[in-house]
Amino acid sequence: MAGTKEIKRRIKSIGNIKKITKAMELVAAAKMKKAVSNALASRLYAEYSWEILSSIGRNVENIEHPLFNEREVKNVLLILITSNRGLCGAYNAQVGKSAVAFLKNAESDYPGASLSLITVGKKGESLFRRLGKNIVASFPDMPDNVTLRDILPISSLVLEEYAKENYDRVAVAYTDFVSPLVQRPNIKQIAPVSRKELKELLQTIGEEKSKIKLHNGNGNGEAKASVQKTDYLFEGDQNALISSLAEKLLRMQVYQVMLESRASEQSARMVAMKNATDAAGEMIEDFTLVFNKARQAGITREISEISAGMASVN
Amino acid sequence: MKKLKLKVITPEKLILEEEVDQVSLPTTMGEITVLPDHVPLIANLASGDIVAVSGGEHVPMAVAGGFIEVKKGESGETNVAVLADFAEQVAELTEEAVEKAKARAEDLRKKMENKETVDFEHFTAELEKTLTRIKIADKWRTRKYRK
Repeated sequence: MAGTKEIKRRIKSIGNIKKITKAMELVAAAKMKKAVSNALASRLYAEYSWEILSSIGRNVENIEHPLFNEREVKNVLLILITSNRGLCGAYNAQVGKSAVAFLKNAESDYPGASLSLITVGKKGESLFRRLGKNIVASFPDMPDNVTLRDILPISSLVLEEYAKENYDRVAVAYTDFVSPLVQRPNIKQIAPVSRKELKELLQTIGEEKSKIKLHNGNGNGEAKASVQKTDYLFEGDQNALISSLAEKLLRMQVYQVMLESRASEQSARMVAMKNATDAAGEMIEDFTLVFNKARQAGITREISEISAGMASVN
Repeated sequence: MKKLKLKVITPEKLILEEEVDQVSLPTTMGEITVLPDHVPLIANLASGDIVAVSGGEHVPMAVAGGFIEVKKGESGETNVAVLADFAEQVAELTEEAVEKAKARAEDLRKKMENKETVDFEHFTAELEKTLTRIKIADKWRTRKYRK
């Protein structure tokens, strides 16, 4: 009966792992619920703020704010949002892959441009450290429950550096939360507010709005309406207004992608842990079968040995 | 009679989405009232109360910071989007919440005295928010509005 002990031990250890993954699944599910409701709640605000920002950018020809002026691209900054912990399936790998692809494209699009990174989360940091990329800032301790206050350092850093012309193009690599089962890694340019990307953006927003049905599915109409040129009346000093608007909106953008990423992370983790729990359950079943067979074989062998012994005595 | 579409949105949630007759907003340059067919406008919001009038009833909301956009929609209707840093309907501001806000304002004020520069910006924003809630709740206590 040598084999049965070994198998029993394995079944037990798999059972322990299953308990852990089950617990992690439940924790992730609870966190996901919160993160998703946060992300969905602020989506509307973020979409509106983008819309307003873009309609200003289109309608006012000579804005003196750097956020609207496209410069020759010499320095590119990418903000990469990943998680601090692993065990969340392909979540980090996917967003990392899209970031690498983005950097490659940037290299060929702007030859000679220097590429820098800001990483949020430990996973992204260690990935790009290994690849030997230039990481200018790292924010490893972003809480699970992100508030607008937590992302202030990131947004003010970006605004400052961009205003100083240290970077001419800033993008974020993050994960869009589509549903608990589907998360899409995405790259979004946040500065400058470019006209070309704006058009694409308005289209995607239109799609998403009608998909998510945040409000009566009239997203397409609105997106189209804002493409029309309107002459805005600005109350007070126009430039001061625009710059305060632009800063607020950029901050909101960073906040939004952060929330989306968090929601994606927790749902990716939940799904990964659910798969692990299921796999552990299957393994236990398989091993139980093997164990029972071995046990039966052992008993049969013992009986035949005893009866053989009896026969030889008689 | 023409109506305007009003939307009040904060980063946390959608506060109000309704067709109203008119809306008064506290901007940094003073209070303005937007009626249907208003010209496209963008303005910063101060803290105070937004009052929408719908069917002769007042719908007040406390608001602190943000901005508004007035524009023409596709079919000629006037859209008013209020993107507020903080907003709340007065009808949802209960006595209890106001008491809590008062205690919190006291607390924040004390904290502010102790600290000199640390997080000053955040504290002033929080204080402004709580004070606005109290002020607006007091203002509307004796008036009639839609609950």
